[in-house]
Amino acid sequence: MKEENKSASGKVVGGVVFAVGFIGALVFGWVIGPDLLYSQKAQPINFSHVAHQDTTCEDCHAFRPDGTYVGIPKIDKCKECHESQMGQEKSEQILVEEYIQKDREVPWLVYAWQPDNVFFSHAPHQAKGVKCESCHRPVTEEKVVPYFYENRLTGYSKSTMKMVDCEKCHAEQNGSNNCEICHK
Amino acid sequence: MKVGRRAVLQFMAGAVGGTLLSPLPWKLTDDAAIWSQNWFWRPSPARGEITRKPTVCALCEGGCGVQARLVDGKRAILLEGNPNHPVNQGGICALGAAGLQFLYAPYRIAQPLKQTKRRGDPTGFQPIAWNEAVGELAKKLGQMRTDGKPNGLAGITRRRRSSMDALLNQFFAAYGSPNLFKMPAHADSLKLAGAVTTGREAAFGCNIEDAPYILSFGAGLVEGWGSPGRMQAAFRRWRQGGKSAAKIVQVDSRCSTTAAMADRWIAVPPGTEAALALGIAHLMVKDKLYDAEFMADRVFGFEDWTDSQGKSHKGFKFLVQTDAYTPEAISKLTGIEPAKIRELAKEFGAQKGAVAVWGQPQGSVPKDMYNELSFLALNALKGNIKAGGAIGFAPEVPLGALPELPGDPSALKGLKQLRLDLASSQKGPLPVLPGNNLHGFLDAVSNGGKYPIEVMLVHEANPAYGLFENKLFQQALAKIGTLVSLSSYMDETAQQADLILPIHTAFEGFDDVIGIPGAPYAYYGLCAPVLKPHLNTKAAGDIVMSVAKQLGGSIAAALPWASHEEYLKKRAEGLAASARGALADKKGVELWKLQPEEALKPNYKDGADLWKKLAGGACWYDAPVDPLKDLKTESGKFELAAQLLLAKGQTGDDDQVYLPHFSQVPPRGSDKDYPLLLVTYQMSALADRDLANPPFMTKTVFDFILRQNDQFVEINPATASELGMAEGDSAVLKTPQGEVPVRVHLYAGARPKVVYLAQGLGHKAYDEYIKDKGVNANGVVEVQLDRVTGLGTVWAARAHLRRA
Repeated sequence: MKEENKSASGKVVGGVVFAVGFIGALVFGWVIGPDLLYSQKAQPINFSHVAHQDTTCEDCHAFRPDGTYVGIPKIDKCKECHESQMGQEKSEQILVEEYIQKDREVPWLVYAWQPDNVFFSHAPHQAKGVKCESCHRPVTEEKVVPYFYENRLTGYSKSTMKMVDCEKCHAEQNGSNNCEICHK
Repeated sequence: MKVGRRAVLQFMAGAVGGTLLSPLPWKLTDDAAIWSQNWFWRPSPARGEITRKPTVCALCEGGCGVQARLVDGKRAILLEGNPNHPVNQGGICALGAAGLQFLYAPYRIAQPLKQTKRRGDPTGFQPIAWNEAVGELAKKLGQMRTDGKPNGLAGITRRRRSSMDALLNQFFAAYGSPNLFKMPAHADSLKLAGAVTTGREAAFGCNIEDAPYILSFGAGLVEGWGSPGRMQAAFRRWRQGGKSAAKIVQVDSRCSTTAAMADRWIAVPPGTEAALALGIAHLMVKDKLYDAEFMADRVFGFEDWTDSQGKSHKGFKFLVQTDAYTPEAISKLTGIEPAKIRELAKEFGAQKGAVAVWGQPQGSVPKDMYNELSFLALNALKGNIKAGGAIGFAPEVPLGALPELPGDPSALKGLKQLRLDLASSQKGPLPVLPGNNLHGFLDAVSNGGKYPIEVMLVHEANPAYGLFENKLFQQALAKIGTLVSLSSYMDETAQQADLILPIHTAFEGFDDVIGIPGAPYAYYGLCAPVLKPHLNTKAAGDIVMSVAKQLGGSIAAALPWASHEEYLKKRAEGLAASARGALADKKGVELWKLQPEEALKPNYKDGADLWKKLAGGACWYDAPVDPLKDLKTESGKFELAAQLLLAKGQTGDDDQVYLPHFSQVPPRGSDKDYPLLLVTYQMSALADRDLANPPFMTKTVFDFILRQNDQFVEINPATASELGMAEGDSAVLKTPQGEVPVRVHLYAGARPKVVYLAQGLGHKAYDEYIKDKGVNANGVVEVQLDRVTGLGTVWAARAHLRRA
C-alpha cells in the first residue's frame, strides 16, 4: 500500500513538475521571449503628425513622376517650411539646428522597411484602392511617434510585414502569388 | 526539497512541449534565416529617388552616349546605353556596362601621394597636400627652364581624342619640350598613310554601316573596331530580322568572334593579310574589275610615273601584275587555293560598294606603312576613295582655338632641340616619316639619349603594363629623374611614380571626345559629370593649369582659363561660332547617311546653348569631307606612288619602296629554337592597355580563357597532339622576349603551329579580382619598328611551348 501511495503521489508531483515546465515555457515563448527578441529604440527626434494637419498626406508622402514612392521625405522637404524654427517644440529646434542647418538627413528608423530581396511598389496597391492603414499604423491622431522595436537578430522592425501577410491579402484579392511578383 | 533525476526530466519534457506550442522556435528559425541574408559583406543597394543622367563615355575613344542611373543623385548604380545617341543607339560594351565599378574601386587614389622611399615601394607613398604637390612639380619644372633644359620634360597620354590632348600640346609647346607622346594606336600609322596618299595627316574612316559587302582583313568588327557601340549598332542594322544586309568576309588567321559571325571566314597565316589583298588587286587589274575612270583621273602612280628629277618609275599597275602577286604565288604564301582567290577577287570586284577594312579591335596597334597602303590600294581600285565612296575623312572639329604662343625664348630654346628619339643616334637610319614613335623615344631614353629626361608626366596611361614590350618602359624609367602620374588608379605605372596627382574618373569631371576612330563623319561629345567626385581628386586639366600658373609668364598666358570646365566651354563656344554641323539629341539621326560636304543647318543658338545641350547628352556631328578635295600631294591626286616618301629621302633597291607592296620582316629568333608563332588578340570581354577589367567584366570571360589565376593559350588540336599536350595541360610559353606560364586550350579555330594569347590579363596592380590573373601578353610580344615611320608595329613573335 505504502508503495502504491508513493507511486500515486509521485505521479501527481511528476504531473505538477511537467506542468510547471510546460506552462513556464508557454509563458516564456508567448510573453517574455518575443519581448527579449527586440530592442526598443527611439526615433532621433519626435514627429507629430497632428502638428502637420495643415498639410495633406501627399505633400510629404508623395509619388514621384516615375511612379515610385518617396516614403519618408528627405531633409529638403522639411526645409521647405522649417528653414527657421516655427514653434517652441524642442524636437523642432533639434531638427532645425542639427539637421537642416547642417544639411544632414534625419536618420529616421523606418517601421515598414522590407529586405533587399523584396520588390515592393506602392503604386499598384494604391491603384487597387488599398488604404494606407491596411498596412501602416493610423497616424492622423498621432502626437508622439512610437518606439521602434528592432529585431536583435535581423535588424528589421517588429512591424515589418511578413511574407505570409502579403500572400494572404494577395490570395483574398485575387492577386498573383507567383514568386517573381515580389522576388525579382 | 530534493530534486530527483526524474523531476528534471519531467520538467524538461514539459518545457519542450510548452516551447513547441509557443511561437518562439518558429520565430527564431525565421529570424535566423533573415539574419543569414544580412551578413555584412552582402552588398545592399542604396535606396532613394532614381534619376538618370546622360553623358558621353570616356573609358575609350568610341564616343558612345551613355546614361548613369543614380540614387538620390549621389550614388551611381548602373551605366546603360543612351537610346537617343546616334553612335551606339542604346548599346553598351562590356567595359561600359561594368564601368561604374571604376568609380568605387578600392584601387582609386584618394589623395595626392609622394614616394618617400625607393621607387616602386608601396609603403613609401605618403599623402601630400595639393598645393605642395603642384608646387613641388612647378618648382622642379621652373628650375629646369632656368637651367635651359625644358626639353628634359617628357609626357605620355592616352587621351588622343580629347581636349586634354590639345591642352597638353599647348603646355609642352609653351614650356619648351618636343617630347610629348601618346600611347600607340592604329591612328598613328593611318594618319601617316593619309599624309602619304593625300597630303592630309588624318586617319581614314569607313562608312561601314551602308556597305553591302565588307572584306575585312583581320578587322575586329564585333570586338569593337575603334568604337564598340558603333559596331554593335552596325551589326544590328546588318542582321536585322534574320536578314543579312551586308556580306562579311573575314580574313583572319584565327576564328575570332568576327570570323565566327561573318558569312565567310578565310583563314590565312598571321601577317599575310596584305599579301591576299594585293593578290586580289592583281586579279582585279588583270580582269579589268577596277574603277578605270577613277584610277585614270584621280590616282597618281597607277601607271608608270616620272618624278620631279625626270627619273621614270614603275607604277602600281606594273608592280601588282608581277609574278609576286599571281594567285599561285599568293596561294603559296597564304595557303588559299588559287581558285578561291579568283572567286574572292571576282566577288569583291563585281560587287558595287564593296569595301576593304582592316585594323585591330581596340585600334591600338599601328600597322606597317606598306600594309596600310596595300589595303588603301584595294579600296582605290574599287573607287571607294572619293566623295560618296565608303572610305573618307572626317573634317576637323572646329573647336575654339587655343591662344597663340608668343614665342618665349626659353621655350624656343627647348623646342629647337629635336625630339629625343630623332636626336639620338639609333641603330639604323632615322625613319623618313616619323610619327608618334613612343617605342623609339623610350629606346633612346634607356640607351642614354642625346639629352636626359628629368621629368616624365604620364596622363591617364599605363605604359608600365600596356605598352607592347612593356619592359622598354621599365628600362627607360631607370634613366628618368622623376615620374609624375596623373591617374585615377593605382595601376602599374602609378606604382612606379615619384609623385601621384590623382584625377577624377570618367564620370566625375568634364571631359570630351573629339571624333570617332574609323568613322568618316565629324563628331564631338561632351562628357559631363554624372555625380560629384567623392575623393580628393582634380580634373587633369586643372592640374596642368595650376602648374602653368605657378610657372607664370608666357606659360601661364598660354593656358589662361580659370578651370578645365571653362576651357571646354571656350572650345564649345568656338564650335558654335563656326556655325557648322548639328546636334543629335533624339532618335533617328543616321550619321552614315550624311553626304560628303553636305551643309547641315545648325540646330543650336549660340555657345551657351550648345554647351547646355552637349552637357545634357546631345552630341555634335558634321558631314564627311570629300577625300579628294584640296589634295595636298605633289601630283594633286591620290598618290598610290608616294612622292612624299621620295621627297623625304626614302630609298630602296627598286620602285616598290614608293608603292604598296608586301614584305614581311621575320620575327627574331630561329625556327629551330622557336618552332611556333605567337599571336596575341583582343577580345571584347577584356579591357586592354590602359584600363584593367572591373570585376563584373571579368565575369564574362570564358573559363577556357581564364580559370582562377590560370590563363589559357589557344592551339590547334593537331599542334597539341604534335606537342603531346591535352586540354588543360600546364605549359610554358617562351618567346625571345620572355617566358610565361600558361595552360593549353585546344581550339579548332586556331591555326596549326600558332599560339594565340589574349591581351588584357596579367596585371600586377589593382585589386584581388584582376591582380595576378593570367599573364601579360605585352611582355612576350615582339615590336618591330616600321622602316618608313619608325612606329612600333606588332604582328607575331616566334614561340616555343613546352610542358610545365
